[in-house]
Amino acid sequence: MVDHVNELVLPGEILTKFNESEKTQKALLGPGLRQEDGDIIVSKPGILKFREPNVYWVDSFQKRYIPTKSDTVIGIVTAKAGDIFRVDIGGSDQATLSFLAFEGATKRNRPDVKVGDLVYAKLLVANKDMEPELVCIDSGGKNDGLGVIGREGGFMINTSINLVRKLLSAECELFKTLGKNLQFEVAVGVNGRIWVKSRSVSQTIAVVNAIEASEFMTNAQIKTMCKKLADTLAGF
Amino acid sequence: MMDSDEHREDRLRQMTCQLGQMLRPDGDTTLFMGDTCATVAVYGPGEVKMNKELLDKATVEVVYRSKSGLPGCAEKMIERLICNTYQTAILTQLHPRSSVSLTIQEIQNSGSFLACCINASCLALLDASVSMKFLVAAVSCIIDNDGNIVLDPNRKQEKTARSSLTFVFDNKDKKIVTINAKGDYRIEELNRCLALCKEASVAIFDFYRESMKKKLSKSMNTLKGDPES
Amino acid sequence: MVDHFKIARPLEFYEKFIQQEVRPDGRELGEFRSTVCNLSCITTANGSALIKIGNTTIICGIKAELASPASEEPCKGFIIPNLELSPMCSSRFRSGPPGEQAQVASQFLADVIKNSKCVDLETLCVESGKLVWVLHCDLICLDYDGNITDASILALIAALQTTKLPKVKLNEDTDKFETFESDLVSLALLSHPVSTTFSILGDQILIVDPTSEEESLSMGTITIVALVDKICMVYKPGGNPIASEQLPTLFERAIERGKEVRSLVDKTFSSAS
Repeated sequence: MVDHVNELVLPGEILTKFNESEKTQKALLGPGLRQEDGDIIVSKPGILKFREPNVYWVDSFQKRYIPTKSDTVIGIVTAKAGDIFRVDIGGSDQATLSFLAFEGATKRNRPDVKVGDLVYAKLLVANKDMEPELVCIDSGGKNDGLGVIGREGGFMINTSINLVRKLLSAECELFKTLGKNLQFEVAVGVNGRIWVKSRSVSQTIAVVNAIEASEFMTNAQIKTMCKKLADTLAGF
Repeated sequence: MMDSDEHREDRLRQMTCQLGQMLRPDGDTTLFMGDTCATVAVYGPGEVKMNKELLDKATVEVVYRSKSGLPGCAEKMIERLICNTYQTAILTQLHPRSSVSLTIQEIQNSGSFLACCINASCLALLDASVSMKFLVAAVSCIIDNDGNIVLDPNRKQEKTARSSLTFVFDNKDKKIVTINAKGDYRIEELNRCLALCKEASVAIFDFYRESMKKKLSKSMNTLKGDPES
Repeated sequence: MVDHFKIARPLEFYEKFIQQEVRPDGRELGEFRSTVCNLSCITTANGSALIKIGNTTIICGIKAELASPASEEPCKGFIIPNLELSPMCSSRFRSGPPGEQAQVASQFLADVIKNSKCVDLETLCVESGKLVWVLHCDLICLDYDGNITDASILALIAALQTTKLPKVKLNEDTDKFETFESDLVSLALLSHPVSTTFSILGDQILIVDPTSEEESLSMGTITIVALVDKICMVYKPGGNPIASEQLPTLFERAIERGKEVRSLVDKTFSSAS
C-alpha cells in the first residue's frame, strides 16, 4: 500500500502491498475502495491517499454529487408538498426538507420559503436506499448559518466536487486572500454549488471567476491571481 | 488514406483521446483508434424514469446513434450488447433507483467500430468517475481469406474478411466479458484470435492509465506544492 | 414448504440443486429439454415449421414475394426474419410495436443467416438487376418458457428447408414475369446452423437451455451457433465474465447438439415425405 499512495489507481486493481505493521491493524476504507473476498479492490479512478493512522481513500475527479450524511449543501426548492419542500441538490433523487426544520418554526409559524429559493441546508439522512432529507437547524435548534440564502441577490455557480473540497480545506488561501481586498459573502455547498454575493455586479463576477480559475492552481499562484484581481478592480 | 490507417497485423492502431471536453455531461470522451472515431457522453448516477426504475440496482441505458439514417434493429443490438457489458462492469448496487446513461455518437467508422465504442464508453465512465467493478477493453480482429489474423482492422480489411471477431476483457482477472464472433472459422482459429486479442488488451488498459494520468496531472501537480493534510 | 423457499430465496433454491449437478426439473446441467419438430404445418405458406423445446413453442412461416433488387447487389435476393413476442406467449410483453428483446432477436436471426451463409442469396435471383425473391420469415412465439434464441433459429432453418418456390418465367408476348404455382422448386440450403444457448449462474456454472425461471436468475448468457464441424457465431452480450478455458467445453457441447438436432430434423423430413 505504501508504494501505491499518491499514485493513480484505476477500478479493478487489487491493492496488495501492505506494511507488516499495518496488517495487524484494521484499515479504514474510504470512498473509492471496497472489499471483496479478502481483497481490497479499487472502484473509482483517482489518486490513492493515506492519512494516519490507518485511513485509505481515493481522491477522484467528479462532477456529479452523491448525497452523503452531514454534508452542507445548497439546494433549489422545486415544489411544496403538504408539510415538506422538495429540494433539488444535484443528486439522483430530490431531497425533502420539512417546514419544521427551520429555526423558530412551529405548526402555526411557517417559514417563509418559496419555490425557486436557494437553501443552505444539512443532510440529515442520505443513503443509497432512501430519499435524502435536509434540515436547516442543527441538533440544538439553532440555524448556524443555514436557511434560505440569496434573497437579496447574489449568484450561484455549479462546479466540480473537487474544487469545492479544495476550497473548504484548511490550507486553501483563496478566500483569505480575496477577503483582504474585497468584501463578499460566500456559501459553499459540498454538492458543487457555490453562492457568491458582493457589493456590485462586477465584483461578484470577479469573485466567481477567481473561484473557477483556482481549480488547478497552487496556493502561490492563487495569491498572485488575487493580487492581480484586486489591482484590476481598483482601477490600475 | 491508406498510409495513416495502415498497420501491422500484431499491433493496434494509434489511439488518442480527449476527456472532459463537454460542459454538461458528467463525463465525456472522444476516442480515435486510427481513423475510427466515436464520442461518448455519460450522465450519472442521476434520475431515472419510473417505469425503468430497478429497486436494487442502477439502470444502465445506452443510446447509440449512427452517423446517418434512422435507428433500426442493428442499432438496438449494439445498444443491448454495450448495455449488458456495462451492467456487469459498473457497480450498480451502489446506486439503486438511479440511472447511468451512455450516449454514443458515431463520428467515423473506419473499421473496428464496436471495439472503439466500448473503449470510448469505458473512458467516459472513468472521466465521470462512476464506481466500477473493473475496467473493460475491447479488441477486434479479422481472419482474412488466407487465414491471417489481423488485429484492429480498417474498413477495407473488414469488408473482405472471412470472419470478424470482437472480444472484451476485464482488467481484474482477464476473463472474457463479451464475445461477438461472426463468420466462418474453426475452433483453433478462434482460440488463436482470443490469445492475440488478450495480449493486445493490455495495451488498451495502459492507454486508459496514460489518459487518466494526463487528466489528473493538473490536480496532482497542485498537490505536490501543498503539504499533506 | 418447498414453494415458500423457492419464492423467498430463488437463487439459493437453485444452488442446492446445482451443487448436486441437477436442475429442479430433473435435467442435468448440460441436458436439453425434449425437442419436437413439425414441418410444413402452414399449407398457405411457402415454407413453415413449428418447434417446441420443452414448453417454448415457436412457429415460423415463410412467404415469398417478388421485388426488385438493391442496386449495389443486383443478383442477390433478401431474407427478412422477424420475431414477434406478443402478450399471448407471456405476460411480460405488451402489445404494440416490437420491444427491444424482439428487435434484438430478429437482428440476431438475420446475422445468423448472413454469417452461416446457409442460403446462397444468388439462388433467389430470377433476373439479375430486375427481379429477385424476397423471403419474409415471420416467427411467432406461442409459448415463452426461456431459450427463445435456440428455438427461433431452429424454426427458421427448418422452415427454410421446407420452402418451395414457384418457377418464374418471362412471358415473351406480354413481357411480364409469370409464376407457375404448380411447378415448385425446393430451396437449397448450403448449411444448417444450430444454436446452443448457455446461461451463466454465479461464477463458473454454465447451464444449457435455460427455462424462463432460470433466465430470470441468470447473470449472463452465451450463444454458440455451430455448423457441422465449425463454429459460425459466438455471441456473449456482456454478463458475468467467463475464463477462456471454459470455452472448449462449450464448443463441444454446441457441436454435439448440432448433430442431434440435424438428425432430428432429417428424421422428421423423411417421415413426412
